[in-house]
Amino acid sequence: MNEGLVVVVRAIISFFTLLILTKFLGKEQISQLTFFDYILGITIGSIASEATVDLSSRAWPHFIGLVSWAGLAFLMQFITLKWRYAAKVIEGEPTIVIMNGKIMENVLRKMKFRISDILTLLRNQGIFDLNEVDYAILEPNGSLSVLKKAEYLPLTPKDMNIPVKPTGISTELVYDGVLIEENLRQMNKDKKWLLSQLKKYGINDISEAFLVTLNDAGSLYVDKYKDNIKKVKDIGDYKGPH
Amino acid sequence: MRKFLIYAIPITSLIIFILIMQSGNILKKPFGDNDNFPQAINDLIEAVGKEYWDVADQKVESLTKAWKKVLNRVQFSSERDEINKINICIARIKGAIMAKDKTNALMELYEAFYHWEDLGS
Repeated sequence: MNEGLVVVVRAIISFFTLLILTKFLGKEQISQLTFFDYILGITIGSIASEATVDLSSRAWPHFIGLVSWAGLAFLMQFITLKWRYAAKVIEGEPTIVIMNGKIMENVLRKMKFRISDILTLLRNQGIFDLNEVDYAILEPNGSLSVLKKAEYLPLTPKDMNIPVKPTGISTELVYDGVLIEENLRQMNKDKKWLLSQLKKYGINDISEAFLVTLNDAGSLYVDKYKDNIKKVKDIGDYKGPH
Repeated sequence: MRKFLIYAIPITSLIIFILIMQSGNILKKPFGDNDNFPQAINDLIEAVGKEYWDVADQKVESLTKAWKKVLNRVQFSSERDEINKINICIARIKGAIMAKDKTNALMELYEAFYHWEDLGS
């Protein structure tokens, strides 16, 4: 028995089965995963790794295990999509942990959360003073959504009655020194216009630009290959490999 | 065409994977004259039963050859423990034949056949 070869064949089977099953299960991002989804992912991954290297059993039972877990995950997804009550039981629901600036101790106890955990999550959002918080809601994925008190909210152009133009999203016109003509046409511009604009940034040829984007408001962002920065700032605190 | 391939490639891959994993029962069947493992066991049982030790000595070699051929085909769909057990049985059969020990040879032959039946199923 050529164990190395068998492991390679089993690895190919597990890898692509896992890829197909995860594509089938959907596009949930890591940040959207609930605690149960996270455990589910670990379990399915663990079965796939066992299928690869555990030669003391056949690959078939592992494959069936993999498909069964993915099938059950899909069933759960289907139930939570169709039945809101089940979704609340299975995936949990947002919980208010700070209301009108007051910490809900009983809720924290029920959620098995310490106040230090909440303070950490607040600091992650740039809030270091509890006086700033009006509402804080613990989401099912473990993140904290915070509504600051009105007096601590940032000033917006609307508050000052300043008219602003929508900036829209920016579109790439040059990527890695290559002109994307399709995007240029979409923005109702031509190459001549782009070259005239780039000249203002000291660029004579498109290949000199690393990235050029244009937003709906007509604002251009240009980055050249030559950045002309004489001293590069090093933010590392200890000498590394690079 | 692209949409067809998006569905066709994963489905085809899964079918191929299932065929590889379930191929043990088919691939352990003999494809030629030199890879008939159960026949080689039966021949050996007969030779050992009649205590034709010279014949048994030749037959155990053809059993080893047959096993090596089949092993190359079934290794992807079988468990290592079952394969190892057959390897050990063959080694013991060789020893028993060398020692002209009918009882042990028959015991090991029947055990090898039992593991063979379990292989890939």
